[in-house]
Amino acid sequence: MSSPISRRSLLRGAAALAGAGALAGCSSGTSGSGASGSKAKTTITYWDWYASQASWVDNEIKLFQQAHPDIAVKKTTQVSDKYADLVSLAYRSNNPPDILMVPKSPQLSQQVSQDWLMPVDKWATKSWQSSFPENSFVEGVDVFGGKLYTAPFAAPAPSLQLYIHHGVFKDAGLTNDDGSVKLPKTWDDVTQAADAIASKSGGKVAPFGFGNSTNTTLAWWLDLFVRGAGSPGGAAVGGIDGMDYRVGQWKFGSDRNYLDVINLLMEWKSKNWFYPNSMSISDEQARAFFERGRFGMTVGGVWNQPEWTQHKFTDYSLVTLPSPSEAPKALFYGPPGGRFVAVSSKTSHADEAWAWFDWLYSPDAGKRWVEQGQGLSVYAKNNDPKSVTFAPFSQYVAMSGAAVVGPQPAIRNPKVSAVQLPAVKPDINDVLAGIYTGQLKDPQGALTELEGKMNQALGDAIKKAPGVSAKDFAFADWDLTKAYTTKPGA
Amino acid sequence: MVMTAVRQDVTAADPPSAPPPAAARRRARRRTYLWSYVYLAPMMVLLLAFVVYPIMASLGYTFYKWDGIGDPSEFVGLANFRQIVNDSIFWRSLGHTFVYAAFVVPIQLVLALALALVLNNKRLRFASFYRTLFFLPVVTSAAVIGVVIQLLVSNFGDSINTLLLNLHLIHQHIDWLGDPHFAMAIIILVGIWHTFGYNLVYFLAGLQTIPDELYEAARLDGAGRIAMFRYITIPMLRAVGVVIVILAVIGTFQIFDLVQVLTSGGPFFATEVVNTYIYHLAFGGSNANAVQPDIGLASAASFIYGLLLIGFSIVQVLVLRSLARRRGAS
Repeated sequence: MSSPISRRSLLRGAAALAGAGALAGCSSGTSGSGASGSKAKTTITYWDWYASQASWVDNEIKLFQQAHPDIAVKKTTQVSDKYADLVSLAYRSNNPPDILMVPKSPQLSQQVSQDWLMPVDKWATKSWQSSFPENSFVEGVDVFGGKLYTAPFAAPAPSLQLYIHHGVFKDAGLTNDDGSVKLPKTWDDVTQAADAIASKSGGKVAPFGFGNSTNTTLAWWLDLFVRGAGSPGGAAVGGIDGMDYRVGQWKFGSDRNYLDVINLLMEWKSKNWFYPNSMSISDEQARAFFERGRFGMTVGGVWNQPEWTQHKFTDYSLVTLPSPSEAPKALFYGPPGGRFVAVSSKTSHADEAWAWFDWLYSPDAGKRWVEQGQGLSVYAKNNDPKSVTFAPFSQYVAMSGAAVVGPQPAIRNPKVSAVQLPAVKPDINDVLAGIYTGQLKDPQGALTELEGKMNQALGDAIKKAPGVSAKDFAFADWDLTKAYTTKPGA
Repeated sequence: MVMTAVRQDVTAADPPSAPPPAAARRRARRRTYLWSYVYLAPMMVLLLAFVVYPIMASLGYTFYKWDGIGDPSEFVGLANFRQIVNDSIFWRSLGHTFVYAAFVVPIQLVLALALALVLNNKRLRFASFYRTLFFLPVVTSAAVIGVVIQLLVSNFGDSINTLLLNLHLIHQHIDWLGDPHFAMAIIILVGIWHTFGYNLVYFLAGLQTIPDELYEAARLDGAGRIAMFRYITIPMLRAVGVVIVILAVIGTFQIFDLVQVLTSGGPFFATEVVNTYIYHLAFGGSNANAVQPDIGLASAASFIYGLLLIGFSIVQVLVLRSLARRRGAS
């Protein structure tokens, strides 16, 4: 008898709760939309993956909001290795941010063809573009179908450096006559320094260390050292990165430098010169361990510096492109133009998003970027070494010559943007991890197999892209030590 | 005959009452069924949305090369299946999954049963506290456990190594999660600890259904503890034990989060299990670099793995049924 009544009561209660929840949801949404709909303040959403650069972004948001009291920027910093997935999911659920850092995947041409991004030509007039260096806006790089979607933010700079811990080096007696730290320049210098650290510390301090938990940083060592030996592709992964543009192919197996560097790394490993937990700790942990002097040398980028500065650790130096001989035979290469942020095509606050876009690209924001030691600005006047007081960052600015503009297949033939290279697994990161951990016993065989798979994948992808041939990727006249100007159609 | 007479007597003694009309009975029955459907509806909706639909949708994706952006358009037929079947990493991942199950299930079940026997002792004080303590890892997120263990073995790995070196148990420093010889062992150990509480509770529930009288009678007959365990506990736990084994095996084949957080399948696929393999295919590689994800390939791998698991489950059920039949015959 009472059962149906209590069921009904239960249902009524559940319905009341659900209704209350819905009302609460509605009221919250109404309030939010009311707030954003009013003239008082428009909130735009902004996504990036800048963790160690967050202080610069936060400061820019603060200054921007002071200058634009009617706009609020709601920043979301996503984890870097999942950023591309999260952006893709946001678009699939039709809820992307108003403005976002351009994800590395999918290719920008695909993001444009999928209507993710909004052309900004309406605001980015010729006069706006004129403040940028020459050749900053290039079809296939930041311009697609004649429309501008993003712009360069940073000047070409060496993406990787070998960091030297002064304390560890001094303890190992690696100093010059004037007491300064003896910085290694060649592979032999690095080996001798490592030997000195290992023997003087009695094995308590490792000469080298890295944090490979994301399966990335071990390849940085290969990239840095192999470029110095004259292999322009380095060990980059993703899209057509890592290719040797002299021949338009990957050369992991046929270019002897790769095996030489791997043999060098394995020789160091056999002597227990690498910090033993390097394969399982994260890059962040490795950064902290380097700071504490657990190892004397590590490979990383300029993004290391702000965090160390925050921790008051400044007693280090950096060198780039250690080579078999004194001068590096290849450099770091980037495209003319570049990418940083773009406005979403789905935004309902396009003007406000553009205002933030414009602010980020302003010379003043770029100047603050350099002053904070985050990197180089696209505006040359911001990169004056004299204005940099912090020694390690000054060293970074001084090595900007180690990065130049390289060949760009997409400029020669814009149809190249349609080439969609599938992921080849295992990639160079995997192969290196396999060799380092002893799972791949034949390094040369593994490199040759990887080269074959990469070039096969490229060949297959080219076949599916009309108007594209393998020749579009080859630049036989490329001098590796100089900037290269790619001519359309040439 | 007797029964009929009794029924006739009862019928004759009762005052005649009109049976409810058939329509009213149907209405009442329908109302009862309706409530059943109402109560089942939320679960059915969730099941359809998050199990049935994804399975059906992913089956369609298996025939396409698709990176998850836009709609799938490049039909490739059975090429994805061929690629998976020919991919040594897939078979290696499958092997790791079976290794994980082969170690976790027996070790965990033996430990859970032993501890359940201890906790089932009525003279044990604070039994509830211990039960809670052992169940705690189950309600802790695997991701959180993974992060903490990762930090423990990487940050404090030096101290652990120093201790083991001083005790002469190892001869050189071990990178617990970075060495292919040890990474899977760490995952297995953590896996055993993490889901151990489930089986403990199942066994405890099973033990509490065994009547005390059986033990008392056995004791009077002079049976010792081992004999009681062998001839009363084990046979009485058999039914629940079969369910526990099946659940444990299915649970271990679903291993994903611990591996993803602890090693992400590395180094060089040394700890890659099928679920992380599928995840890496679907979301673009096991490293921080941008590579094109392949939802079609991942769907094909999921489908093949699903078929293998169904086949394995059928074999498991047949084996258990055959064992039960043989026991019944003996």
